[in-house]
Amino acid sequence: MVAEGFKLSPVLLLLAVLAGSMLVGLASRSHKGGYYLVSGRSIGPLGIGAAIASNWMSAASFLGIAGVFYLHGYFALAYVIGWTGGYVLLLILMAGQIRRFGKYTAPEFVEARYDSTVARVLSAVITILISLIYCVAQYKGIGLVFAWMFGFDYTRSLLLGTAVAISYLVVSGTLGAARNQQLHYAILIVCFIVPLMAVAGKLGYFWAIPQLGYGEALHDLAGDTGGSYTFPWTYATPYQWTALCFTLMVGTAGLPHVLSRFYTVPNVRDARWSVVWGIFFIGLLYWSAPAYAVFARIWEGGGPVADPQAARAVADIIVIKAAEWAGVPTWLTGIVAVGAIIAAFSTVTGLLITGAGAFSYDIYYRLINPRASERQRMRMAKGATLVLALLVVFVAVEPPGMIAEITAVAFALAGNTLFPVFLLGIWWDRTNKYGAIAGMLTGLGLTVASLLPGEAFPLLAPTSSALIGAPLVTLVMIIVSLFTPPPPESIRKFLVEKVHAP
Amino acid sequence: MTENQQPPRKPDDELRVNFFRPRPGFMRKEVRLIWAMLAGWGICTFGFQFLLVVMQRNEAGESALTDASFFGFPFHYWFSGQSLILWFILLCLVFNLAIDRLNEQYRKRK
Repeated sequence: MVAEGFKLSPVLLLLAVLAGSMLVGLASRSHKGGYYLVSGRSIGPLGIGAAIASNWMSAASFLGIAGVFYLHGYFALAYVIGWTGGYVLLLILMAGQIRRFGKYTAPEFVEARYDSTVARVLSAVITILISLIYCVAQYKGIGLVFAWMFGFDYTRSLLLGTAVAISYLVVSGTLGAARNQQLHYAILIVCFIVPLMAVAGKLGYFWAIPQLGYGEALHDLAGDTGGSYTFPWTYATPYQWTALCFTLMVGTAGLPHVLSRFYTVPNVRDARWSVVWGIFFIGLLYWSAPAYAVFARIWEGGGPVADPQAARAVADIIVIKAAEWAGVPTWLTGIVAVGAIIAAFSTVTGLLITGAGAFSYDIYYRLINPRASERQRMRMAKGATLVLALLVVFVAVEPPGMIAEITAVAFALAGNTLFPVFLLGIWWDRTNKYGAIAGMLTGLGLTVASLLPGEAFPLLAPTSSALIGAPLVTLVMIIVSLFTPPPPESIRKFLVEKVHAP
Repeated sequence: MTENQQPPRKPDDELRVNFFRPRPGFMRKEVRLIWAMLAGWGICTFGFQFLLVVMQRNEAGESALTDASFFGFPFHYWFSGQSLILWFILLCLVFNLAIDRLNEQYRKRK
């Protein structure tokens, strides 16, 4: 898609950052056996908040959001609000209770709450699907940025990027490098904001706090486009906006790798307070992301997009293009490219490990070989990581949409399945395994239906199906639960005495 | 599913966890707080979009809210793109403070 020759300084920068973080990881390596990256020293809400943010920031935040802004203006705010407001839902409805539940993964929670292997396996399958979809979006980002850096075509860059990502995962895994998430967050946010300041400065706008100061650029742009860029419903109807925003919110509160952050926090109070910092740290990036897109539009002369096809092709790396177009030096542009790759790498690592863990512990160990030793399960997890990684490449060769859109599908799936299962599991003692299983199947079906080609279900967009899906699945769970026997008393007791204790 | 038959007392009240019928005491207060937070979350996020629709002059959504300028931004853009994130942080802050107080109150009482 974009090949303009090899760029030395960004490549060197990438190598330096990868090697550097590996060294720091080795130096701060904790106790052994860290295949599951759930380290948990007591670092307080601020540190955990940074970990939440670094865990969260992926190619979708780094590249995707600005890309949607570039194409769709105000519509893209549905992403920004959805991906921050979801944490409010997570905090007020679930965070503390999940922490008190004391399980480590989503399938473990499901089994403990619903006392059913079927429900556990189903939630494991959903976890794997979410990981796969989410990863496709990350791979697309990796492929595009590698293409920009190395000047190869997209497919070759994708393969190269995958190879680098997997070798990084394997090497740091075998060396047992821990990941310092606070450092990781600091690198990411600097990588995002410093080049943005340079862009703002080059184009003659207020550069010191560009995320608060790009309003003037927005006004200029609104003037050039007769306002259409900033008007609320130029690119999408109010229904589309609301459906997308709601889907991303409930998806956030149902995403396995987000939820699992809360199991590992030392105590409930820290779990709650860390969310405040988490939203703030995520917000720092989300306040800034639209600015890249706006500056790119300004540089292009401000009018309506001349060639929609070409605009769509560059949208997902508009963050890099904005810097390049504005005349920012290549090494400085390289910083934002490296940041995007680091964000995508770490997200891919986390997702593949979550997916592989779900396969080896919740499906293989539970269903296929209950007598598997710890070593066998570990080998299974490693094998599954590679298989999942390769599966993702197949889909990512022909990416089905923009980075943010693909990611949103993963959120829709989580919002249609795991969100209701967690919500009712925590807030209604009468929910039973039949309800949970029926709910997850309904949610899965709904998500698949939304992906069907054509306008079979006009109100169910692939990115936005949970506005209808989540309430519907909740209803299905309630009805099915009421018509089947209540869950064991021990579970209800646990819910009252432990999970909902003051 | 015979092992989960209820003992003679009314277990439904003892073991009840229901968001819409919370037991009196800690849980009822907690749920009340959650409702207040949900209202603040929903009204500012979706209510504002609804307001944009109500006030719009044309299909694109042009209105007094998009004409007005605030901090250098068109008002509606500033509200959705910048202030809402701050509002979310504030909601979480208030929720945490309130829950901390509630916890303390009920832990002492036990």
